[in-house]
Amino acid sequence: MSGTFQTQIMLSRPYLTREQIKRAQQNTISDRRVYNQKRISVFKYLCDMCVQFKFPRRTLETAMYFYQRFYLFNKFETELCYDVATSCLFLSCKQVETMKKVADLATVSLRLRSIVKVSPELLDNCKKRIFQMELRILETCCFDYRVNNSVHIDDLLVKIGKDLKLSHEVCYLAWLIAFDALKLEILLMVPQHTIAIAVLKIACELTEGVSWPNVRYSLFESDELSVGEAYFDIINFFINVFDLSDLRAHVPNNLRNVGIETFIELKKQAGLEKGLKEPENVSSDPYVVKERDFTIQERRYVLYGKRISDENKPIKQETKKEKV
Amino acid sequence: MISQAEYSKEKKVGEGTYAVVYVGTKQSSNRKVAIKEIKTSGFKDGLDMSAIREVKYLQEMQHINVIELIDVYMAQSNLNLVLEFLPADLEMIIKDTAILFTQADIKSWLLMTLRGVHHCHRNFILHRDLKPNNLLLAPDGQLKLADFGLARNMGSPQDFLTSNVVTRWYRAPELLFGARHYTGAIDMWSVGVIFAELMLRIPYLPGKDDIDQIDVTFRALGTPTDKDWPEISTFGTYNKIQFYPPPSREELRRRFIAATENALDLMSGMLIMNPHKRWDPIQCLTNQYFVELPEPTTPADLPQLNKK
Repeated sequence: MSGTFQTQIMLSRPYLTREQIKRAQQNTISDRRVYNQKRISVFKYLCDMCVQFKFPRRTLETAMYFYQRFYLFNKFETELCYDVATSCLFLSCKQVETMKKVADLATVSLRLRSIVKVSPELLDNCKKRIFQMELRILETCCFDYRVNNSVHIDDLLVKIGKDLKLSHEVCYLAWLIAFDALKLEILLMVPQHTIAIAVLKIACELTEGVSWPNVRYSLFESDELSVGEAYFDIINFFINVFDLSDLRAHVPNNLRNVGIETFIELKKQAGLEKGLKEPENVSSDPYVVKERDFTIQERRYVLYGKRISDENKPIKQETKKEKV
Repeated sequence: MISQAEYSKEKKVGEGTYAVVYVGTKQSSNRKVAIKEIKTSGFKDGLDMSAIREVKYLQEMQHINVIELIDVYMAQSNLNLVLEFLPADLEMIIKDTAILFTQADIKSWLLMTLRGVHHCHRNFILHRDLKPNNLLLAPDGQLKLADFGLARNMGSPQDFLTSNVVTRWYRAPELLFGARHYTGAIDMWSVGVIFAELMLRIPYLPGKDDIDQIDVTFRALGTPTDKDWPEISTFGTYNKIQFYPPPSREELRRRFIAATENALDLMSGMLIMNPHKRWDPIQCLTNQYFVELPEPTTPADLPQLNKK
């Protein structure tokens, strides 16, 4: 190659299917069990941070998206995951306009991680690590600000609930369920308004005397398969670990008898599990198969495929001419 | 996909607090572009919020009267924003005494500004820093809203916003009073002040500091009363300010000699004190002013900066 510079152009794909996520994680996560354990404690840590600063739920939601997205394309190392999480939170504060000074975040972060002796030097290093990770996180999201911008589960849940004339009780229950959904990889698979529909559906089915109105999801800019993906992911989560869920800890009085069996029953009634269609090329899709190379000098990120094809056109014509 | 670098930086043309701006070339199309290299080191709070906002809001907006964000790329560890290259701005034109411009030219610039603002507002985005300096001019005469470093989305009604936005001279009265909830009306006020400035060719409300701005604004346009703006007395500073009567139509006519009645109506509509009553972009764009003669100048025929 003649040039000394290198360039790479990448199309943003903010949502991936389950198989695509798994494939990408093969490159970055060596021990799935450790990763999952850490993810739970990181979630707990982020919750504590959000409580300390009285952040709204959308800040936590965006931070969890960033955190999980980060480890699709960056090697997972247990020592660093809290720093990554703090950086994700810092960035999510900027993203959803709940800004906080990095020094404040770093101080509380170190305290929550039970680091007793906080020297100015330690604090400075912590701040530095937060900064260093910031751009890398944005890069793994391809600087795509279309997501986590104005669509958040709790906002949309209220709006859609109102539109469907669901009661306050049902919406509140959905809101509780939605908290558990933040721990799941579903955040990386479907947009937040779709998750909002799925939790409302579950809430309706759990509440006696209420049935889920048979609506076309296209009215809410979603579709059957995406809602199905979220619905079954959340139901499966409760079937697996209901006893450890936040829903169980906060379940309203009239639903005290809800348990694993309830969710098994829901799943039975829902019939065949429906979800996003897996593309056939997962194992050959360079987006998830190839490891990201952050040493390329010029790394470009675009939102529309048209931009890439537009740029390719003249180059192709030129090579043809050369051949002739 | 690896080939020669797509962008080359040729000349440094400016430096702000958070970025260095270069003129460069997009290799595949040989298009001249402006490249904003975001400074990453030395910042107290990491990646600057202005850079984030600029990407966030320009990414989705595609309109002839809004600057185009062509590309976002990382070069080593620096973030670069590639923007349309726009060599002039409205402030340069207003200040250049060698340039004469007509009522038709003013109408054309105002029309393009309002179209850009309308596009932002219908996408629920507040610009929050409209001023002649941020209205850039393309070589083909098109005017484009630029600098989205202070922009934000309108959000929920209960969200608290900062009132410390918009360059002082273009700041709406609700901001001068420190409002924490406001709407697109703040941008419309700025457009009204810019319209006045285009007609006068000097800044219309040049306050020396934040306190003086309150005085200058109300001296020119009258102190609002709770009759036409009931919520006004809820602002703490309201009771401390001097009372001025609003200008009569005759006084406005004398100040803006060349303006037609429709032009004065439009300007006054954008400069209504009560933000709920202030005209929105649609009211402005459908106003008689844009129907009556002279027709707005075709962008390509607008006066341009003399190339040195």
